[in-house]
Amino acid sequence: MNVLPAEEELMVKNAAREFLDAECPPGLARAMEQDERGYSVELWEQMASLGWFGISLPEAYGGGGLPVTYLGLILEECGRAIAPVPFHSTATAALAVVNNGSDEQKQTILPRVARGDLIMTWAVQEQDPRLRADAVQCRGEVDGDSLVINGIKHFVDNFSAAELVVMAVRTAEPTDESAGITLCIVPTNSAGITETRLTTLAKDSQSKIALENVRIPLSNVIGEISQGWPATSEMLDTGTALLCAQIIGAARKDAEMAIEYAKNRVAFGRPLAGFQSIQHLCADMIVAVDGAQLLTYEALWKLDAGLPYSVEVSQAKAFTNDKCQATVRSSQQIHGGIGFMMEFDLHLWYRRVTAWTMRLGTSFEHRARVARSLLAQPGRVRLGMNIEAVA
Amino acid sequence: MEFAFTPEQEALRVEVQQFIAENVTPEIVAELEDTGIRRRGPKTREMYKEIAERGWIGISWPKEYGGQAGSRIDQYIVEEEFARAGITVGGAGSGAPAILAAGTEEQKQEFLPGIIRGEISFALGFTEPQAGADLAGLQCRAVRDGDEYVINGQKMYTTAAHYATHIYLMARTDPDAPRHRGISIFLIPMDTPGITVRPLWTIQNDPPAPLGTTYGDNRTNETFFENVRVPASCLLGEENQGWYVGAMGLNLDRVGASRYLISIQRDEDIVNWVKDNDIEGYAMREDPALRDRLADMWIEGQVCRLMTMRSMSIVETDGNFTYEGSAEKVFAPEHGVRTTETIAQMLGPYGQLLNGSEDAIESGVFAHNLMGAFQSGINHGSVQVMRDQVARRGLGMPRV
Ligand SMILES: Cc1cc2nc3c(=O)[nH]c(=O)nc-3n(C[C@H](O)[C@H](O)[C@H](O)COP(=O)(O)OP(=O)(O)OC[C@H]3O[C@@H](n4cnc5c(N)ncnc54)[C@H](O)[C@@H]3O)c2cc1C
Ligand SMILES: Cc1cc2nc3c(=O)[nH]c(=O)nc-3n(C[C@H](O)[C@H](O)[C@H](O)COP(=O)(O)OP(=O)(O)OC[C@H]3O[C@@H](n4cnc5c(N)ncnc54)[C@H](O)[C@@H]3O)c2cc1C
Repeated sequence: MNVLPAEEELMVKNAAREFLDAECPPGLARAMEQDERGYSVELWEQMASLGWFGISLPEAYGGGGLPVTYLGLILEECGRAIAPVPFHSTATAALAVVNNGSDEQKQTILPRVARGDLIMTWAVQEQDPRLRADAVQCRGEVDGDSLVINGIKHFVDNFSAAELVVMAVRTAEPTDESAGITLCIVPTNSAGITETRLTTLAKDSQSKIALENVRIPLSNVIGEISQGWPATSEMLDTGTALLCAQIIGAARKDAEMAIEYAKNRVAFGRPLAGFQSIQHLCADMIVAVDGAQLLTYEALWKLDAGLPYSVEVSQAKAFTNDKCQATVRSSQQIHGGIGFMMEFDLHLWYRRVTAWTMRLGTSFEHRARVARSLLAQPGRVRLGMNIEAVA
Repeated sequence: MEFAFTPEQEALRVEVQQFIAENVTPEIVAELEDTGIRRRGPKTREMYKEIAERGWIGISWPKEYGGQAGSRIDQYIVEEEFARAGITVGGAGSGAPAILAAGTEEQKQEFLPGIIRGEISFALGFTEPQAGADLAGLQCRAVRDGDEYVINGQKMYTTAAHYATHIYLMARTDPDAPRHRGISIFLIPMDTPGITVRPLWTIQNDPPAPLGTTYGDNRTNETFFENVRVPASCLLGEENQGWYVGAMGLNLDRVGASRYLISIQRDEDIVNWVKDNDIEGYAMREDPALRDRLADMWIEGQVCRLMTMRSMSIVETDGNFTYEGSAEKVFAPEHGVRTTETIAQMLGPYGQLLNGSEDAIESGVFAHNLMGAFQSGINHGSVQVMRDQVARRGLGMPRV
């Protein structure tokens, strides 16, 4: 038991911070909000050359073979720098291939991801946005050696930038044995796809996708037809833990900006930081982000440890949602009127953290899963014990 | 990062659990209910000797003083398991860590083996009528007189003073120095002439709080010092360095197993209760609003656990706290209070029934917590003062 990052982990994290401090000024995120492509190609290529995209992919497929905690630490730094790159969606989808893909799928996809040659995303949510199997209504039908997809996918990150999307579709009605979901890899340029760009609070890239008779080869199915919900669920959990890392990185930076601002802004004859009510607000921000960070690190660690991790992921996301939202709101409060001004950078963090808290599961959804799992656990429960998640 | 205990540590935990299952008999439980968890009756003292013989007390202390030179995490595991059974095995308040850090060889020999055997215990003599959160304002005086010190003054809320063998006293030795630099610490036998202890009864006194209540103490004390003469060898650390000697012990007191359990035991209790109990067919576990709150509580409880593990990780790797102990001492007690109040709204009218009442749930522990939990946000550094420390030490903000 040592919850502090190890020396090697800190080295990777600090190196990521140094690089992003130099190469990813807030102006880049601001510029990309207006950009058609929505991300910085130059930054993406630099990150690729640093080996970030492959860091937690298997060595056999060109990756660095490090635990997913390392990927989490880098994404935490990307969150801190609000780096405008489709990293999170690529990592989430690529890890779904690592965890459940065929060898052929791994061969064709992972080395390209590791090199930075392949941008990916994932698509599970629909008009009913709840992250559960019965909300997946987009249909897939087997036709010879193809899967034919019809329906809607919603809130898809970086769809225009991505080449492949890992998608959950319904291929059967649910039974006791199976949720009837198939996870598959769909090229974003497939015939029959129409994309509608959404305008989000984060002003990043999300889309609604209509699929009409979209045909993909059966070899693009991840695992077995209609047996894909566990793999989908694993992908969602991985993506959620990684998103938490991104949120805590951004929220901590946002809090630090408020702390700096309070030290410099004078009111009533002294810096704001000299008022106890401001100090206590700042203390609460840091305590909150620390808590979210500890939960997130534990979830990431469990993802690698071969232990049940879903409850830990839900704990992390529910707490991160509520506490990081409160943190960036407090930061706005401390900044007074200036935080509301377009010209000032603070809102770049505020809007992202706020939007991210609404993605990959609300606090209510995640707490519902925690409660479900906790109350179904046989015997007496105890904090810190391994608890199997109940779907 | 590593979020699991080692297999050896898990085995140690099981061993301690087995010891508890075999040795904490109903008679011992009855005795604990009678004395309160901090005080040891004769049966508990007997058992304590056996615990000490197994090498489970002061595990991390050097061998020459009866310890095992072992891991602080191992010690935490033992402390947590015993605390869950209502038994405090941590050592002796702030005394032991400070003696280890600042004591002379003679003091270490005099106190540490005795603490391990359960023969020596300390009351904490910090607070005064006019010095609580602002401890550095303390006025109790110690004046050097040849080979002795003469002590005069009053201490408040000296909880263990009516049964401890010694008092760990903070007194002013230089009234002209800046506040923090004129304070010294003394280790004084309670039977020294001139010490008087008077009871202060708490709101938990009647009916007595059940075991496991957060701040269930029915009694604390005020302790008076009138021309109390002690040999100069009672001084711990250097004269006028007491603030810094004391701070070491306090920091370690703010974190660890018993602090953790004070804040989270209710999370586990209520979930386990709700899992297994209905009230005449009303199953709280099926109510979506209550489930949301239960999960919320549980998640905050996990944060308390992880903050405790963070502090333990820092201690184990010989790191220094900047603000982490204070952060934990803000989050965990406030969590404990939130939980206590949430449970009240879950149990409704049953939640107000005290120990011994008809229909009291779990001996009224949830109701008694409503009289004690808020106290955890005041003792050993109030949450306001702890926030000040986070802001100043952690965030570099100025003193107000
Ligand atoms: C959209 C908009 C419209 C506005 N319209 C007008 C207008 O028409 N006319 C006009 O004159 N003004 C207007 N204002 C200005 C507004 O009234 C100020 O923003 C407000 O008075 C706060 O001042 P400030 O922004 O300088 O923040 P500051 O005074 O710097 O305050 C920053 C933070 O510090 C806190 N703080 C300050 N002093 C203390 C203290 N002693 N103890 C604890 N905390 C403290 C504040 O509560 C705040 O959270 C407008 C502002 C906005 C954003
Ligand atoms: C059951 C019990 C057992 C105890 N056991 C012991 C013991 O064994 N030995 C011992 O020495 N002491 C003991 N104490 C004392 C305890 O440590 C003190 O109660 C505590 O330090 C607070 O002091 P106070 O009660 O005088 O409150 P005060 O110091 O008067 O504080 C009152 C309130 O003011 C707030 N406050 C104070 N300063 C500031 C500030 N700068 N900014 C904002 N808010 C502030 C505090 O946070 C608190 O909420 C015990 C207390 C109790 C109730």
